[in-house]
Amino acid sequence: MSFSITEPSNRQKWIAGVLVIAYALITLMPLAWIIATGFKTPADAIAYPPKVIFEPSLEGYVNLFTSRSRVTPEDLAALPPPETFYDQIVRQYDMVITGPSKYGERFVNSIIIGFGSTFLSVFLGTIAAYAFSRFKVPLKDDLLFFILSTRMMPPIAVAIPIFLMYRQLGLSDTHLGMILLYTAVNLSLSVWLLKGFIDEIPIEYEEAALIDGYTRFQAFYKVVLPQAATGIASTAIFCLIFAWNEYAFAVLLTSGTAQTAPPFIPTIIGAGGKDWPAVAAGATLFLLPIMVFTILLRKHLLRGITFGAVRK
Amino acid sequence: MTNFIKGLLRLRRGPWEMLATILIALGVFMLMQPFALVLFTYSFIVTLIGTVMFIIVSHFPE
Amino acid sequence: MPDKLAKRAALATPPKLAHKIRGLSDRAIAWIFIAPTIFLLLAVNIFPLIWTIRLSLTNFRTNRPNNAVEFVGIENYRKILTDADTWTSLQATAHFLIWTIVLQVLIGFTLAYLINKKFRGNDLWTTLIVLPMMLSPAVVGNFWTFLYQPQIGLFNYFISFLTGADPASFSMIGEVALAPWAIVIVDTWMWTPFVMLICLAGLRSIPSSIYEAAECDRASKWRQFWTITLPMALPFLMLAVLFRGIENFKMFDLVVQLTGGGPGSTTQLTSIDLKREAFEKWRTGYASAYAVILFVTVFGLASIYVKALNKVKDR
Repeated sequence: MSFSITEPSNRQKWIAGVLVIAYALITLMPLAWIIATGFKTPADAIAYPPKVIFEPSLEGYVNLFTSRSRVTPEDLAALPPPETFYDQIVRQYDMVITGPSKYGERFVNSIIIGFGSTFLSVFLGTIAAYAFSRFKVPLKDDLLFFILSTRMMPPIAVAIPIFLMYRQLGLSDTHLGMILLYTAVNLSLSVWLLKGFIDEIPIEYEEAALIDGYTRFQAFYKVVLPQAATGIASTAIFCLIFAWNEYAFAVLLTSGTAQTAPPFIPTIIGAGGKDWPAVAAGATLFLLPIMVFTILLRKHLLRGITFGAVRK
Repeated sequence: MTNFIKGLLRLRRGPWEMLATILIALGVFMLMQPFALVLFTYSFIVTLIGTVMFIIVSHFPE
Repeated sequence: MPDKLAKRAALATPPKLAHKIRGLSDRAIAWIFIAPTIFLLLAVNIFPLIWTIRLSLTNFRTNRPNNAVEFVGIENYRKILTDADTWTSLQATAHFLIWTIVLQVLIGFTLAYLINKKFRGNDLWTTLIVLPMMLSPAVVGNFWTFLYQPQIGLFNYFISFLTGADPASFSMIGEVALAPWAIVIVDTWMWTPFVMLICLAGLRSIPSSIYEAAECDRASKWRQFWTITLPMALPFLMLAVLFRGIENFKMFDLVVQLTGGGPGSTTQLTSIDLKREAFEKWRTGYASAYAVILFVTVFGLASIYVKALNKVKDR
């Protein structure tokens, strides 16, 4: 432990720690509440005062994944006894399961579109960033600014012509259309971030490889790519998070086949009003992977949010 | 101040960029201010001039 | 013939150069690597932009494709820029913008300042604080409407716990006076960590030797803060403010899920207004002109942002 006159005193550290932890605990409450509500029964979810201690129930998750319909008590009595726990939960409310809900499909759409666009934008972004980092490109600064500015554009404004264009091309409400769109939006981030990462790899490595008889391509994928692996991985996670969270394009350009989870989750309703446990369950499953990714990314968060400008 | 005017006359990047930045900021302020509709009406043209100017002058020498 | 020449040249030149000739030239590789990116961005951004500008000069309506499309010049722009309702939604955006930035900068900078005291476990808590900003704004915004429910909502309960007011007596998203603040609160909750992270980077970029020198000159802590800490962190603060400004100027997902622009049009920010014109009233030409106005504004702000970015990069 180094000692210097500018080191904060223990008392200062203690006060700072208490304040920061208090802020963290308060702002994490809504997230904790989402997770908790997912395990409540609808009655517990809307109880007053809000229930902190409750008996956990899987009703929210059952309602999230199934569609149900109401049956008369006589019909219910005539059915064979429930075989599974979810049948049992549903029948308490005079209902039977009629099939799976759309949540699964929407979740899979999110995965397909998220990973598809991430792969494409990281692939294109890596080679473009390499070229920008290593070669003399005419109008380099203008091209880089142009690439960044595409990300700044308001999605609703971009969506007007895209909507018309996709209708003409038959791309509206298709996975391919959404993948291409998200790739284009993410390209700016991946080019800027990866350029920062590649700039940090000493150019001498490649020069040595070129002298050893490698071609440019070989030097690129045998020397630069392995060196940039961490950078590429964290760029990929950032792109994935964006595509995963995106709402504006998804709600305007998809309605069924290719709809992702963000526009779908708010539309979950139960019998007689909003089924908050089911919404919370859907949100929990949707948000948890991102929380895990955020923790994995913590060292590179700052780079990601400033397009690679701020490194430390 | 005299340096600023000198820079403008010699077509230097710094002062011109500053001018364009001020125009853009002014345009954005006019767009969102709650005081006079007429300022709102002319906000777009001010922002447009500022933005185009910014693109041009960013190619001037330092 | 040129082939043979190339081979002869390759044999005569040292191995390093020979490889360059055998492979593609650097220039060609540069273009092959950049072209797909530029092409995709042209197709998905520039081509639609040009199309938008063209549409903005017409009276085209998507829901009436059989109507004759007439060229109306700058009529759409004139209508938007003299429309009091559009002006109102820009003022709503201004209210949202100013208050979110003020709150986020104040809280974010304070947090960064406290975290920079390097108490034990500060890394862990920083990571936890950052969580809200990484999540889907639409999904989180939708859940906040539950927290804002009168009586049963956690937020109302929290406020009543602090102030003693009846939790059923007010509705954050249902009342004209409260709704603009409801969206400010959620945005601040979500994005303060962003400002905090950038400020933290700014504070950490200040070399401790400067403070040591100030300490030797017996400058008070208060003076050190105003003459060293704040000025040196300012470029970072500017970066955060500009970025949040641009993001909140085009804010859509969070607010549309929270209030949908209501009650009335109190929280109808420009993006929501634009969405109504374009995808509910289907006034495509008019909405395109509206979109162009927003484009130009954001583009202008983005150029200032990149300037600020380059300033920070040199540090």
